[in-house]
Amino acid sequence: MSKPQRLHPAAIIFNFIRILREGIYAIILGFITFRGVSFMYFILALAVILILLITISILTWYRFTYRIVEDELRIEYGIFVKKKRFISKNRIQSIDLTAGVIHRIFKLVKVEIETAGSGSGAEGSLKAVTLAEGERVRSKLKKTGLEQEEMDMEVEIPPQPSFTVSFKRLFLAGSTSGSVGIILAFFFFGFSQLEQFIPESYYKNTLAWIIGSSITLIIGLGIIVLVLLWLFGIAGTMIKYGNFTITKNDNELFITRGLLEKKQSTIPLSRIQAVGIQESMIRQPLGYVTVFAEVAGGVANKGDDFSTVLFPMMKKAEVNAFLGEILPEYAVQQDEMTALPGRAQKYYVIRALLPLLLPLAAVLYFIPRFFWIPVILMILSWVIGNLRFRAGGYHIADDCLIVRYRTFNKITMIMYHKRIQAFERMQHLMHRKEDLATVKLSIIGVSGSGKHYTLKELAVADADQLADWCSYRD
Amino acid sequence: MAIMRYDGQDKKSGGIKMRQPPANTIARDAIKAWKITSAIFIGVLWLLTIAWFIVTMVFSFLYWYVTIAVIVCLLFTYVFVFLLPKLRWRRWRYEVFDQEIYIQHGILIVSRTLVPMIRVQHVDTKQGPILRKFQLASVTISTAATTHEIPALLETDASDLRDRISTLARVDEDDV
Repeated sequence: MSKPQRLHPAAIIFNFIRILREGIYAIILGFITFRGVSFMYFILALAVILILLITISILTWYRFTYRIVEDELRIEYGIFVKKKRFISKNRIQSIDLTAGVIHRIFKLVKVEIETAGSGSGAEGSLKAVTLAEGERVRSKLKKTGLEQEEMDMEVEIPPQPSFTVSFKRLFLAGSTSGSVGIILAFFFFGFSQLEQFIPESYYKNTLAWIIGSSITLIIGLGIIVLVLLWLFGIAGTMIKYGNFTITKNDNELFITRGLLEKKQSTIPLSRIQAVGIQESMIRQPLGYVTVFAEVAGGVANKGDDFSTVLFPMMKKAEVNAFLGEILPEYAVQQDEMTALPGRAQKYYVIRALLPLLLPLAAVLYFIPRFFWIPVILMILSWVIGNLRFRAGGYHIADDCLIVRYRTFNKITMIMYHKRIQAFERMQHLMHRKEDLATVKLSIIGVSGSGKHYTLKELAVADADQLADWCSYRD
Repeated sequence: MAIMRYDGQDKKSGGIKMRQPPANTIARDAIKAWKITSAIFIGVLWLLTIAWFIVTMVFSFLYWYVTIAVIVCLLFTYVFVFLLPKLRWRRWRYEVFDQEIYIQHGILIVSRTLVPMIRVQHVDTKQGPILRKFQLASVTISTAATTHEIPALLETDASDLRDRISTLARVDEDDV
């Protein structure tokens, strides 16, 4: 127990990959610069550098030890400068176990220990330990320590509420994911960069061939590319959320997900600030939603949109049953919303159209032939502005507040009075004349930052109602 | 804590707690302090314009542009040095209750904020060289999600306020 332990030797590989990734640009740059005469020297230098890197990787592994002493995790590391980091058990917010592709070959996991400290990256990280060891570390460092282990045995008897996403649903989630657009953008960006690497004559010939061939062929190619991108989107969702399972233990949620990289994370219930229901534009007509939570502290996962997904894809009608099992206090009726007053509509429409006025003028002036592009965009914006207006609303049920709004996706947030950090009411001149007010609610977000929800152009009476609800004064 | 129960009856009457602006204004000298601060920034603008004017004279460029620049400078001086500080002061109000802090500010967009006392994490007082000249200080109130500043209070008021808020905020939280 108190004996310092090393990571699994596979950690050397991870160290090596990490260092290599940081230095890869220098190597590629060198490769391009020394392509000519001094290429031999470059290869030689590269070999030396590689040997050096491998040595550093091994030393890093050799010097990295950890042990659990009483209520602390003690990590010692550093090749030349010896560094020690002690993390007290009481300060640990969450312990995540992740297994990437390489991890899974060796049956290993990465243990990430997060405290409340701000900043990105976990405070303590064991890059590669065996699964059994990872679970041992986690159970030792859990807040309740010994009790927890006893609990684990008892808990087997009553079934814990647990939900797993079905393959069919996940497939549907992938095929309706908005990431298609993002991948498309990347694809075009990549293509425009690719030009530089393809020999010019080849590129020109291909281009001439494409232009020479019939319109149907071009359209056909376009459709094939789109279908491919769509399939990529499905694969991405499958890999990220494959085998998604959420289980409720007595005071925490336990989430396992990932097809290639397996990720297990624990969310203490007390850290959940609000629960949200997202209806994306594509999924809304199908009646599917994503349920997520705003969790205080913790680390903003790169690539994720800062919120913790509680369930990637479910029917809207199932949400309350789901929340009833997982987070009973958030299972509230979301139907009778107080809508925005009709006089707010014009603000929403104007706000949606305003950014397009300048491009419209520019297109009309410079290339009047293409005037239909901004016109179509303006019609779309008008529709979105109206949809935003229609989505906006709130509902108060005792000490629980439901706020609904839309940017592109319709989002319904459920939050409790005790979670609200500040309430703001804003009015400009026009608002004052028309008895409208904009309202902003703040709760705690990830990494010590705030998360703010703005409801624009409520009726003043409604805004004041909300203010009274938020107020602690008698 | 007292939570308003909403029964859906008095909906159209609206709330009452935010209908009135907060009671206290900030120190009158804030106007002078703000005037000096913006005068410094506008002064830089004037210097640039004068430099431009000299360049125009020496190389006999067109006087058109520099004339426009001078007019813009004059306008900015009026708006930022003479007009806005007064308006800003008139709008700035605050009130500290036992349970919460109530702040109003903003010239074009009037914003009223409620900060629950038990959500306050820490309070700071701050004083730059210009505020010090007028024996003023600003108070910054931080929650886990937001920061709010009451600018330019009399030094004694600011430290009293800081102490008061920090005492009131010293309530055990159930959980975060």
